Amino acid sequence: MHAKTSKRLQRLRITSQFFFTWLFFFLLLKSGGGAIESLPQTGFFFYIDPLFLWVNILAGPFLHAFLLALVPLILTLVFGRFFCGWVCPFGALNQFFTWLGNRGKRKKIVVSRPSLRFKYLLLIILLLASLFASQLLGWLDPFALLTRSSSVALVPGANFLVQHALQSGAQNQGWSGKIVKPLYDLSRRFLLTVRQRTFLQASAIGLFFFGLLLLNVYRRRFFCNTLCPLGAVYGFVAKYSLLRLPLNENCRKCGACSNHCTYYGSPFQDYLKSECMLCFNCLNDCPFAAIDVRFQLPRSGKMSALDVGRRRILAAAGCGLAAAALPQIGVNKKAKAHDFIRPPGAVAEKEFLKKCVRCGACLQACPTNAIQPAVFQSGLEGIWTPVLVPVNGYCEYECVRCTRVCPTHALAALTLEEKKQFKIGTAVINRSTCYTYADGYNCAVCEEHCPVPEKAIKFREVEVYNFRGKLKKVKQIYVVPDLCIGCGICENVCPRTDAPAIAVGAEEEQRENSF
Amino acid sequence: MKRRTFVKNGVMFSSGLLLAGQVRAQDKPGSAAPVIQVKGASPYEITKKAVAEIGGMGKIVSRGDVVMVKPNIGWNRTVEQAACTNPEVLRAVIELVFDAGAKKVVVMDNTCHKAEDCYQRSGIEAMARKLGADVRYSDESRLVVHNFKGEYLSKWPVFRDHLEVDKFINVPILKHHGSSGLTIAMKNLYGILGGNRGKLHRDMGENIAELAAGFRSHLVVVDAYRILLRNGPVGGRLSDVEMRKTVVASTNIMHADVAAAVLFGKDPREVEFLQAAHAKKMGEIDIAKIPVKSLAI
Repeated sequence: MHAKTSKRLQRLRITSQFFFTWLFFFLLLKSGGGAIESLPQTGFFFYIDPLFLWVNILAGPFLHAFLLALVPLILTLVFGRFFCGWVCPFGALNQFFTWLGNRGKRKKIVVSRPSLRFKYLLLIILLLASLFASQLLGWLDPFALLTRSSSVALVPGANFLVQHALQSGAQNQGWSGKIVKPLYDLSRRFLLTVRQRTFLQASAIGLFFFGLLLLNVYRRRFFCNTLCPLGAVYGFVAKYSLLRLPLNENCRKCGACSNHCTYYGSPFQDYLKSECMLCFNCLNDCPFAAIDVRFQLPRSGKMSALDVGRRRILAAAGCGLAAAALPQIGVNKKAKAHDFIRPPGAVAEKEFLKKCVRCGACLQACPTNAIQPAVFQSGLEGIWTPVLVPVNGYCEYECVRCTRVCPTHALAALTLEEKKQFKIGTAVINRSTCYTYADGYNCAVCEEHCPVPEKAIKFREVEVYNFRGKLKKVKQIYVVPDLCIGCGICENVCPRTDAPAIAVGAEEEQRENSF
Repeated sequence: MKRRTFVKNGVMFSSGLLLAGQVRAQDKPGSAAPVIQVKGASPYEITKKAVAEIGGMGKIVSRGDVVMVKPNIGWNRTVEQAACTNPEVLRAVIELVFDAGAKKVVVMDNTCHKAEDCYQRSGIEAMARKLGADVRYSDESRLVVHNFKGEYLSKWPVFRDHLEVDKFINVPILKHHGSSGLTIAMKNLYGILGGNRGKLHRDMGENIAELAAGFRSHLVVVDAYRILLRNGPVGGRLSDVEMRKTVVASTNIMHADVAAAVLFGKDPREVEFLQAAHAKKMGEIDIAKIPVKSLAI
């Protein structure tokens, strides 16, 4: 192919990657702020993901938006894995880090051949597990992974660094303070959150994410080539695609084409259509314009293909069955009680675990930072599903953001009126620590904050012996369970500094009675 | 128990001394500062009228002053729900302050709900920015420990912004409040505080009074245009809101609160923080002893 065209194709690819990465972060950041009435559609990237289409088919009821996922699948049949090379924002990040690591090095970063097949095996494990209700695809799906890591680590981390850098600068007395101060004020108004957002597992999720990015310095596009289950889906389809890169008679077998190839292949040696992400770096690297771009029927011509291996597939299937069964036989499956609450709109737990793709869109959307990625609260398979942690934030009464951004309706889309009625749990007072009982003096901070129109937290005036042994009139707090919706603001604002004397538990949560 | 009694007596004695000094420092303690009460259809007009009747903003704000206008923006609620100060009342105050020659007007509160939501939903942020006021979020890096020199409330973290201004204008909304009975101007000062404010709900009446005694409000304009009668301070239900179409203004924070309490339909003598303020000689608790001028426009 002509050198000029090659350069143009490569530039176009990079522009496309920039655009989709920008779009991804634009939509993600939009979902956190702004008025609840003007929510943008953040689900776009989830709806074009065939893995989430699969989750939706299994968990139902079918959402038409997921039909969008057929578009990249069909396009892959024509072009091959263009999605990984041109669209995927996480792919773009990995590409960027690979490029960084490769720059100016004589010894280029490589990709080991056997590692390429690992993602197919992983896909088999995850798909098989999902058939048996153990839905773990979201752990590694690139959109879930990127959304979750950004919400929990990348965005709050960047917020922290900017805040601290500008804040200390703004406090300088000299001329530097005079420059930084307006910058700080502006960024506080438009960029930073007033209160730093904090997350359970922020370090773990962040280290996992940055670790994956760092691995690109040792293996080209490590995540995409080795782990990505979505890449495996596209790789499988791309095997039958029409577009390919045949060689013409100019080829001198110099091997320059593999210099910047995403999977360290080369069209003359081992061109693997299932792995080619159409980055077109090879066209550009070839000194003799020996590589063409052509549409050909899949069967025509000799093709090398990645051999995953029948025994490995069987082994992966075995692992998949284990991954299906093991999470389903923990005691938490039988126990009535559990010590966590879910965000509003959450469907019954069994269904929830099937529907939730652990993407963390709700973590980003929650304005009060109440929604957190679970650790082991709901078992091993519940890792990174959203739970409400009132000590960190409360469920804002006038808000439905999380139920609107959930792509799979694991949090059912609620209207504001429905949400105000939706009971996510019930507050319980600990009479041995509540000041109004234990010490015998007034407090009522929880009563003040209770947002339901007829307050679910009330007090009655009684005469008690206080902590000095004196008979005093005290307004003692009590909860009316039928009025309480479990928003958790009472637990959030309780002034006790050892443990809140009022806490929301899953008692009477609506989702378990709603089917 | 002996040590405890000793410490208690010590604290009582020394804070008593401090307090005596404090009261003297207040301008004309116990003198019957007048209260202006204006009723009318427009919250903007009645506010302007009330300030004019006090003697005009020029009496309070000097040319070149930096002025804090402190509304109640505590909650993520709309104007109709009457949990935050009416932006129209605030608009009148900010305009008057600028007209009096102020260099800068700062508007801020330490909110109970998420700050961004409260500022936006109350309508206060957009309005104040349009007038050119400096609308700030409470920034925890700007907390300093301030000594209120009270018996119950002494050292407590305060946002520096409130201490660095020349004049402080307190513009609360009159509301029902579960534990303190009412929230008006004195309680509105909780918004200058940081830290674990929930702790101040023990002995709340004394804390509110000592807070108001230890931190001067140069002018108080109480928004009683819409008042929340039940389920305060957060409210939410429109049936709990009643139109009173009134603004109450005074240079004495206690007198403003006493008049507003009467307007609400409560006997000031039954409101704990007013009792405590009365005991500190911050003003009259008997409405009959306060010169109240009522107007309707």
